[in-house]
Amino acid sequence: MINTRADAMSVIFPNNYDNMVPELSEMRLMGSLPVASRYRIIDFYLSSLVNSGIDSIAMLTRRNYHSLLDHIGSGREWDLVRKNGGLSIFPPYAVKNIGIYEGWIEGLESIRSFLESKKEELVILSDACIVMNFDYEKLIRFHIDSGADVTVAYTREPMPDEVISDGDPEKGLFYTLDLDGTRVTNIDINPRRKGIQNLSMNIYVVRRKWLVDIVEKTFLRGGVYLVRDILIPMIKELNIQGYEYTGYTSRITDIKQYYRQNMRLLEGDNLSQLFSGNPIYTKIRDDNPTRYTGDSSASNVMVADGCIIEGDIENCVLFRGVRVKKGARVRNSIIMQDTVIEEKADIDCVITDKRVTVSAGTRLRGSESFPIYISKGHKV
Amino acid sequence: MGKEMVAMLLAGGQGSRLYVLTQKLAKPAVPFGGKYRIIDFPLSNCVNSGIDTVGILTQYQPLVLNEYIGNGQPWDLDRLYGGVHILPPYQKASGSDWYKGTANAIYQNLGFIERYDPEYVIILSGDQICKQDYSDFLNFHKKKNAEFTVAVMEVPWEEAPRFGLMVADEDDRITQFQEKPKEPKSNLASMGIYIFNWDILKKYLIEDEADEDSENDFGNNIIPNLLRDERRMYAYHFKGYWKDVGTISSLWEANMEVLEPEKSGIDLFDENWKIYSRNSGLPGHKINSGAIVRDSMITDGCTIDGTVVHSILFAGVTIEKGAVVEDAVVMGGSIIKAGARVSHCIIAENVVVGESASIGRMPGDGESAVSGVATIGSGVYIGDNAKIGPDAMISENVKDGEQR
Repeated sequence: MINTRADAMSVIFPNNYDNMVPELSEMRLMGSLPVASRYRIIDFYLSSLVNSGIDSIAMLTRRNYHSLLDHIGSGREWDLVRKNGGLSIFPPYAVKNIGIYEGWIEGLESIRSFLESKKEELVILSDACIVMNFDYEKLIRFHIDSGADVTVAYTREPMPDEVISDGDPEKGLFYTLDLDGTRVTNIDINPRRKGIQNLSMNIYVVRRKWLVDIVEKTFLRGGVYLVRDILIPMIKELNIQGYEYTGYTSRITDIKQYYRQNMRLLEGDNLSQLFSGNPIYTKIRDDNPTRYTGDSSASNVMVADGCIIEGDIENCVLFRGVRVKKGARVRNSIIMQDTVIEEKADIDCVITDKRVTVSAGTRLRGSESFPIYISKGHKV
Repeated sequence: MGKEMVAMLLAGGQGSRLYVLTQKLAKPAVPFGGKYRIIDFPLSNCVNSGIDTVGILTQYQPLVLNEYIGNGQPWDLDRLYGGVHILPPYQKASGSDWYKGTANAIYQNLGFIERYDPEYVIILSGDQICKQDYSDFLNFHKKKNAEFTVAVMEVPWEEAPRFGLMVADEDDRITQFQEKPKEPKSNLASMGIYIFNWDILKKYLIEDEADEDSENDFGNNIIPNLLRDERRMYAYHFKGYWKDVGTISSLWEANMEVLEPEKSGIDLFDENWKIYSRNSGLPGHKINSGAIVRDSMITDGCTIDGTVVHSILFAGVTIEKGAVVEDAVVMGGSIIKAGARVSHCIIAENVVVGESASIGRMPGDGESAVSGVATIGSGVYIGDNAKIGPDAMISENVKDGEQR
């Protein structure tokens, strides 16, 4: 066979960390958070995988997955409609002795026969919470060259503030790595440590056969989490390698970070750092180009297609189909799909979810540390 | 089951009056309106009207068009039975021919239509910008119990001599056809869009092919023959935006009209009549601090640091600091470098306009607003400080400081 594809498949857990952004994930899951004017976080994972030659991808959803299914459709936009491989979405279903899965081990156990039937040598496991344009080919090469049993990708960055301040494991689990060279010697769960850490990206490479085997064994013993119940207990006997990723990343860990990370794309050359590599695919909406009328002004903004701008926008990220009417002023805000900002409204530091209407003359003032959030479909 | 109506889209024209824009691609593949190509309009009209079987007749420079159409998925024309098919001339047991004329192109593909056994065939033109509901057109054809119907537009009488004109009675039945007459008897211009009953189309195409003197053209041969035989021929009045974008000035003008939908009537924001196109896959556009954007249409992947006034930018265009773009159409991937001035012109795809270069000129008082459009062909490099005047037609690189 001609080697155009990587000998790897992927399993994605798009629900991880839903609780970090309760406002935004009320109606959706982490992987389908809208980011960067026309994308969902999952787009960055799917596109990166496809661009790295991985086109057999399974997604294990847990709840609120309607928005994800609606977004992904058949997977055509990511070129994932394949006879061999392609996209397999597993909605939650209870089997014999597993309810809706809690940890990855349970999730993987529920699709064990699917994993067994695959042919790829390697499996890439990940959640979907980081905006990035990741090169999986490099990761796989590192994994093979280092002779690792498990490779985990990490970035050098601090723990999320949220975890340092209360460390509530209900919100989400973050892992830091102690390294000897590239070998992982210790993994801490939600350490309340300040400063730069080797913070796991929750992207793992393992051998498929090994995974199937260990998942079955661990599940029988009552194990739930990959890191807590497999990697940490076996840290000495397994060759676990850390792979440092130095490309552009945005982690969405709470609504403040959601705001901050979207706004960060407006700064310097962040936008080209994120998008200059391979293309990121997303659902096509067939919007027409965005129209700026003679009365409009725009400064330091990122805007998707399908908008009509008649007012002033400054330091904003606008998603598809937004209308900013005459005399309206929108500053330092993130305006999601099909929001209408009516005449003479004046808003600053606001996040509007999809299909919000800000009525004429309304004045809204948030701050960068506490942006005002307006939920889906509301009129203010 | 046969199809009720199959569309045949004539896309073989060279579009020689678009000069450098059609050197490497056929006219229907010419980019339009920020993210479309001309052919997106008839294709979207088809699918929005419920036609799911379209044959595209290509001949001249088909590569770009073939790749663009692909399996037809962006227009929802990837179908198990029907869908979109590219139909180039092909070799037959008894020899092969280029398409000799519009009628001959359809004649050579009678076999394609036969496969779908339709009741009606609509003949479309791939070089017009128009939003049209063909189902309304077909209803008219059925209501009149017609054998042939042509879509017509009322044009101003003084412009009538430029068109093929249909003379019709009060019941819209066509009594006479005049091709670019000196003394027009009608102001109903043919849009080059026809509905035929399939049996009639087949009969007249076979007859026409047998006639050695025929130019094998719908306007010059088929329509006169139908009239000769007193077939039931009707004129369907189309009222809406329609533009033949066969010349540089009309292409430029149509693009500018997109910027003023209220005035021109071409509304691309119509949720009920979307124009589909193949997507660029680029992120949203970025307008940086200090940039000025007014009265313009901007699409994905553009980065703007300069000034853009009354212009259309296609996907992935870069306008550097201090550059001024006015009344211009800048196609995909082009870069306008710092301090350059780009006015009243069409810049094709992947052009680089060097620093402080100047292209085109705004029409002065008393000059026609649509003439004098400068055109830069795709992939051309315009050197720093080069100066390109109005009406220029540039297909090769221009050196630094050079004047054209």
